Amino acid sequence: MHLSTQEYIAGTAAVLAVWMCGLTQVRLALRGLAAQTALLAVATAALGLERHAPYELLLAAVVLVVKAGAIPAYLAWAAGRLDIRRDAGALLSPTLSMLAGLGLLATGFFLAPRFATPASGHAGMAGMALALVFSGMLLMLTRRLALSQLIGFLVMENGIFLYSLTQTAGMPMIVEMGVVFDVLVGVLVAGLVIFRLNRSFEHIDVTQLRGLRN
Amino acid sequence: MILQLMVNALVVPLLLMGVIRKAKALMQTRRGAPVWQPFYDIARLLKKGETISEKAGWVFVWAPRIGLVVALAAAILAPWSGAPLPPFGGATNYLLVLYLMALARFVAMLAAMDTGSAFGGLGASRDATISLLVEPVMVIGLGALALAAGSTDLSVIYSAPVNPVVAALVGVTLLIAALAELSRMPVDDPTTHLELTMVHEAMILENSGRNLALTEYAAALRTCVLLGLAAQTLLRAAPGFPLLSGGARYAVGLAALFAVGGLVAVAEGVLVRLKWRGIPSFLAYSAGLSLLAALLAVLKG
Repeated sequence: MHLSTQEYIAGTAAVLAVWMCGLTQVRLALRGLAAQTALLAVATAALGLERHAPYELLLAAVVLVVKAGAIPAYLAWAAGRLDIRRDAGALLSPTLSMLAGLGLLATGFFLAPRFATPASGHAGMAGMALALVFSGMLLMLTRRLALSQLIGFLVMENGIFLYSLTQTAGMPMIVEMGVVFDVLVGVLVAGLVIFRLNRSFEHIDVTQLRGLRN
Repeated sequence: MILQLMVNALVVPLLLMGVIRKAKALMQTRRGAPVWQPFYDIARLLKKGETISEKAGWVFVWAPRIGLVVALAAAILAPWSGAPLPPFGGATNYLLVLYLMALARFVAMLAAMDTGSAFGGLGASRDATISLLVEPVMVIGLGALALAAGSTDLSVIYSAPVNPVVAALVGVTLLIAALAELSRMPVDDPTTHLELTMVHEAMILENSGRNLALTEYAAALRTCVLLGLAAQTLLRAAPGFPLLSGGARYAVGLAALFAVGGLVAVAEGVLVRLKWRGIPSFLAYSAGLSLLAALLAVLKG
């Protein structure tokens, strides 16, 4: 399998997701998310040029502004307000979780050719997209703070976006745009929930929420 | 070719140590010793008398000699300078070279424990821990190149065409692993004066005279082999380098080796030593890069 330039760009995004699994600093993870989403926007624009689809260029611009700009900035602001700096991780230590993420990256690559897809070309992209989804899931599983789980959700969403973009003949523009703004509203609501959590319990550590049972 | 081997074995290693020390001194705005100071040091140590602990046995006397022979063998079998390898058939296998280096470390640890000094045992135990973490990294990293080339023979690995991304990833991996393996800055401070934080220095605390000269020379050879392999791998990511041959290739290879040495010195000037418990996460990054390179090499088929 020979990887194209777009696939290297998307692959760098997937590697950034794996790197984010090994981070303990929330601010650095947010920067990783912004860089990863920006790379996906670049890959989208490159695909748009290749397919002569101008609306994909527009989509890339919207992704760059909303998902790579506004959402990480909002989350960084929230982290600053709540005075969150480090997420020590739960279940797996960050180092081990990074190595596990690499394992998932390889798994994604070897699983991807088993799914039948309507679009031809860029077969490697399916592997990158699956790797993004898997690392997002791993981030959600192995993090302690509600904010980091939101970051994991966004990584997963990036993976689904990449898959739908590259493995289908192209979604209608209105659907793609709708998804982007759905994510924006979802993150805003989740941010409000995190503020509420912090006000009620004075922390946003999800491993301690089990105490609520009784 | 004999001349190149002689220069590689006798001149380059000590010169590299001198260059690293000089560059480090310049980083600290000192003038530093001349680059050929290590030659004087070795000559002086060879003339001096030796003090051997009365607890030490024959292992302590023989370990530096065995270590030097093993390091020389590794230096002859590994393509670290860009000079063509001697035609030893399958002996230029990458696993053989890696495990010769591991054997050199093993006898150094035995010698450190043999003197009965507390610091020797402490240094040896730390050295064993670090080598445990470094070994998979180097095996997988060079293994990725071997996969790409379809052979474990180093002379084939370093002449077959390779994906530049794989070469760059493996080069960085080898560089990080070499820093740990050679007890260099982010992992161990080679100029520390506190025995409790030393790794390599704590192990050679009891050596003196000829014994110390042999140990230092073997350490210089190992530095050359590991940094040279990293430099050669990084060079393969550069366009145009695979086309060079003969003298030009050798000259570029040596220049890259000294450049990497300078880089190590700069790293020692600007970095601080990691906490002991931070070393596994530092090496995990290098393990991650090597796994990534292996994945890319497998996908390319």
